[in-house]
Amino acid sequence: MHPAPSIILFTVLSGFGFGLISIVGLLQFLSQISAVDIVIFSVIGLFFSIIGLISSFFHLANKKNAIKSMSQWQTSWLSREAISSIFCLSIVVGNIGWVFVQNRYINEVGIILFLLSLFTIFTTSMIYAQLKTVPSWNNMLTPALFIFTALAGGSILLLDYASLVLLLIFGVFQVLFWYIADQSFIHKETSVGTALGFSKNEDIRAFDVAHTNRNYLLNEMVYKVARKHAIKIRYISFFAAFVLPMSLILMFPGNFSISVLVIGIHFVGIYFSRWLFFAEAKHSVSFYYN
Amino acid sequence: MTKLPKCEDKKLGLLIDLDTCVGCHGCVVSCKEWNSSGDEKQLSDINSHQKDPVGTFLNRVHSYERENSSTNEAETFYFPRSCLHCEDAPCVTVCPTGASYKREEDGIVLVNEDDCMGCGLCAWACPYGARELDLVSGVMKKCTLCVDRIYSEELPPEDRVPVCVKSCPTGARAFGDFNDPNSDVSKKVRERGGVDLMPEMQTKPVNKYLLPRIKSKDSVSSVGSVIEEETDAIGLLGWVDRALSKF
Repeated sequence: MHPAPSIILFTVLSGFGFGLISIVGLLQFLSQISAVDIVIFSVIGLFFSIIGLISSFFHLANKKNAIKSMSQWQTSWLSREAISSIFCLSIVVGNIGWVFVQNRYINEVGIILFLLSLFTIFTTSMIYAQLKTVPSWNNMLTPALFIFTALAGGSILLLDYASLVLLLIFGVFQVLFWYIADQSFIHKETSVGTALGFSKNEDIRAFDVAHTNRNYLLNEMVYKVARKHAIKIRYISFFAAFVLPMSLILMFPGNFSISVLVIGIHFVGIYFSRWLFFAEAKHSVSFYYN
Repeated sequence: MTKLPKCEDKKLGLLIDLDTCVGCHGCVVSCKEWNSSGDEKQLSDINSHQKDPVGTFLNRVHSYERENSSTNEAETFYFPRSCLHCEDAPCVTVCPTGASYKREEDGIVLVNEDDCMGCGLCAWACPYGARELDLVSGVMKKCTLCVDRIYSEELPPEDRVPVCVKSCPTGARAFGDFNDPNSDVSKKVRERGGVDLMPEMQTKPVNKYLLPRIKSKDSVSSVGSVIEEETDAIGLLGWVDRALSKF
């Protein structure tokens, strides 16, 4: 699939934003955070979530109808995501206002924010996980990876040793995701044979393409990434998103400025991870072009 | 609404005979022509008469060769690919704006362009690449089964079929109601074994395909004997050489 920068930035930034909001919410529920910190970190979470959502807006080819995306929550995960994110961010804004004015907070609002932001990340991941056409996404590792990426990123600024646990879970899911994507699962039932109505192992080859130039289908869904580069990018991604953050947090526990540095490095790793998430994913339509 | 209806009345669709299709791209051209004429909704082209042209099509014809396991010869066939108007259309349920829908009365899957925001998720959800985002208007385009022809009261009755069916010079495309067991398309599907594309995707396509007949071993033995003897001579001398070699 085409790794569009707008979509990668959307999932990375809003994932981090909602991850941070969920951690703030959890700490608020457990009374483990000061009122000032709730305001500061909620604003940061809000900032990243909104930047991410704006980035996804730029992916739309017909932006004037974006508001209609809130209407089909009964069947569409993208619609659920739009509603859930707006609803969650409204409560964040309300919570910030309340805490800012009253200088105290309601614990129960924290658990609502925690659950609602996790649900929002889940809806984002289900946009991809629901697609039977892309088997490497079409399993529950996709939501697991998205949720723990967000939680690990969100926890780096606020938790010290607990963030190591979340990073570790993220690292495990990341490796598992790559493993499953390779083992594949990838189109184990589909082939050029089934795409054309024959049996799976039919020996069929395209001898001419259906067009004189590239087109939307090829650009969007028949993206090919060189395997040897993909492996290198996996190493870079895993080192930046997991190994370096783990090491730095272990070496400098509770050091806030190091945490900020860790977030920056972690972002780079997650960006590469998401780039691979799209670039390595094989869509069934590619069988018509084999 | 993006909830899928039952469609118990009619299931309109196409039956495409790969044994008959000669890959002339006539359906592609007539489809593009019909769907780019008449009203403001266009299938756009960019740089159509210059370098690197790109355009939106609702129907594309691919060319394949398959190995015949009994003769070890390659056999070519052509494959027109368009929307299959699936009963469980995944493109409809993923749509966040409600622009994509499946009609209850005849099962046709359509896009209401006034509601589409051009997110492209329906194109990702379709296993068959039947949807293309129009790069000029920014909305999703797909086969309408020529809904503006088949119910038209202005066109003469014989023209009330999808334009790809009307224009096909070999009669490789048929249009009809797959829900009616006595329709021509249903009969042909039964007689010749109509198949679904990617049944494993569980989309339950309405459109069916008739696969190319496999050639028997005898059909190619004479071709094989002609090309068996190799000669260095080409042109007229080569022909004489081959002709004489037969005796």
